Amino acid sequence: MAIIEVGDLSKTFNVPVREQGLRASIRSLVHRQTREVIAVDAVSFTIEPGEVVGFLGPNGAGKTTTLKMLSGLLHPTSGRCRVLGFEPKGRPAELLRQITLVMGNRNQLQWDLPALDSFELNRAIYRIPRAEFIALRDELIELLEIGDLVTKPVRNLSLGERMKMEIAGALLHRPKVLFLDEPTIGLDITMQRRIRSFVADYNSRFGATVILTSHYMADVQALCKRVIVIHHGRLVFDGDLSTLSERFTTQRTITARLADGEEITLYTPRAETASATSRLLADHDVVDLTIEDPPIDDVIEQFFADAGDAS
Amino acid sequence: MSGDELRGGRVRLAATFFRVGVMNEMQYRVNFFLQLVQSLLTVGTGLIVLAVVFSKTNELGGWSRPQLLAVMGVFTLVGGIIRTFIQPNMERVVNDVREGKLDFALIKPADAQLLVSIRDVRFWQLTDVLVGLAVLTVALVQLRSTMQWQHVAAFIALLLSGLVSIYCFWLMLASASFWLVRINEVQELFDGLFRAGQYPVGIYPGWLRYGLTFIIPLAFAITVPSEAITGRLAWQPVIVMIAFTAVLLVVSRWFWSRGLRRYGGASA
Repeated sequence: MAIIEVGDLSKTFNVPVREQGLRASIRSLVHRQTREVIAVDAVSFTIEPGEVVGFLGPNGAGKTTTLKMLSGLLHPTSGRCRVLGFEPKGRPAELLRQITLVMGNRNQLQWDLPALDSFELNRAIYRIPRAEFIALRDELIELLEIGDLVTKPVRNLSLGERMKMEIAGALLHRPKVLFLDEPTIGLDITMQRRIRSFVADYNSRFGATVILTSHYMADVQALCKRVIVIHHGRLVFDGDLSTLSERFTTQRTITARLADGEEITLYTPRAETASATSRLLADHDVVDLTIEDPPIDDVIEQFFADAGDAS
Repeated sequence: MSGDELRGGRVRLAATFFRVGVMNEMQYRVNFFLQLVQSLLTVGTGLIVLAVVFSKTNELGGWSRPQLLAVMGVFTLVGGIIRTFIQPNMERVVNDVREGKLDFALIKPADAQLLVSIRDVRFWQLTDVLVGLAVLTVALVQLRSTMQWQHVAAFIALLLSGLVSIYCFWLMLASASFWLVRINEVQELFDGLFRAGQYPVGIYPGWLRYGLTFIIPLAFAITVPSEAITGRLAWQPVIVMIAFTAVLLVVSRWFWSRGLRRYGGASA
């Protein structure tokens, strides 16, 4: 049975329109003009327990808005969504006890206190039995390698260390569904990699379902077999990462090394790969030859750029 | 889950937050002395003003000198409690709404209103409570002849009820931030008006008196309990006050949940 079901989910915001200039500001005091912005537009998908799904899309695509609707923070304008069988809109405690939200750009730990104290607060909020709490806490501390950091005030930690604390704190109640909104934003490569391997570990160890949004393709490549691409609020792709690159790659890169040491790089339309290759082989003395899809980052970027032109 | 268990859980949650909040404040021990000096200075200035007033007259609006001293004690005490428990939490709600950090409170399986009301404690502001109690004690010693235990009981009950109504007032102010994102100046407005509470509201002209009673319930938090402890209390205001507090509790919770609904509907 699906753990998350989303059908025709839409969210529209009323955004005040403000013209420039003092006169316009004064006029807007009396008569506020608003404009409707469709942040999420009839999105449908289902997610099975234990899946790790990547949400991809440029800024403002509607990824975070979708996550917030799934966690009950925003109410859908229309459509349905169900998480663990609950409708998130009313923020039922039964649902909230089983989900968690980590936002890479915001912290929820007490700034001036060691993370251990913040963990204690979470224990009180989620009413976790003490023995269970200590066991899981220590396990998370070990997995994240933060043993010597949890007793330091959070303000003294680096960005990456703080993120690890945030993640540990967000998992103490053993949530079944994890919403990770840009968990690696602003972190260096090593730290990104550690967080990634932790999420993968956690997923396999606890069987939790993970929805992850990220700008970093590497996050998605490392963690998610399945990706959902959202653009201008619409779902434009839902499927395997490998299919994504097949679908959106219109070009291939052919690199040939010649007998005289020269290297040639050709970009050809996908359909002409074979003919281009045979021509290359006929005309030159080729020693080595590779045919590649362009990096997934470029694929996505290209795709969004094209879609942007089209709309 | 039974009602008792639920209530027990809430008390325990509040106690945990209080403990962690105090630990947090203990790191800044020097603040204790700074706050103490500030409390003493504030009360000192108040006392000088009182002395000046009573060098010209023997009573003010029907209040004798030790009675007014008691009002000042209660004012300082109440102010301390508000600044320790109520104000930091409500200001944090306003900031969280503006910065989009309220999400973290809303995603927790606890009553959101309870959670946002217990998150912060500014422990060192309790120096005002100490100084206020000292001033009140001095006033009561001067008034000894009229002190009775019923007065003390009524005082405590009315003080708590008054604090609840101030909390409700602050909760509504904080909830307003769901509609008006910038309400930074509200705190200063509150502080300014609150200062009016150091005298019994009876000495102010009618419009201000009503404002300080029913709009910002300062009369209920300061003047009425002071009347109780100085033995001036009539029963009529007590009934009005308790009814008013009950209504405020309901109205402020309604306002808060309306605000939350708006937050869910419109925030980006």
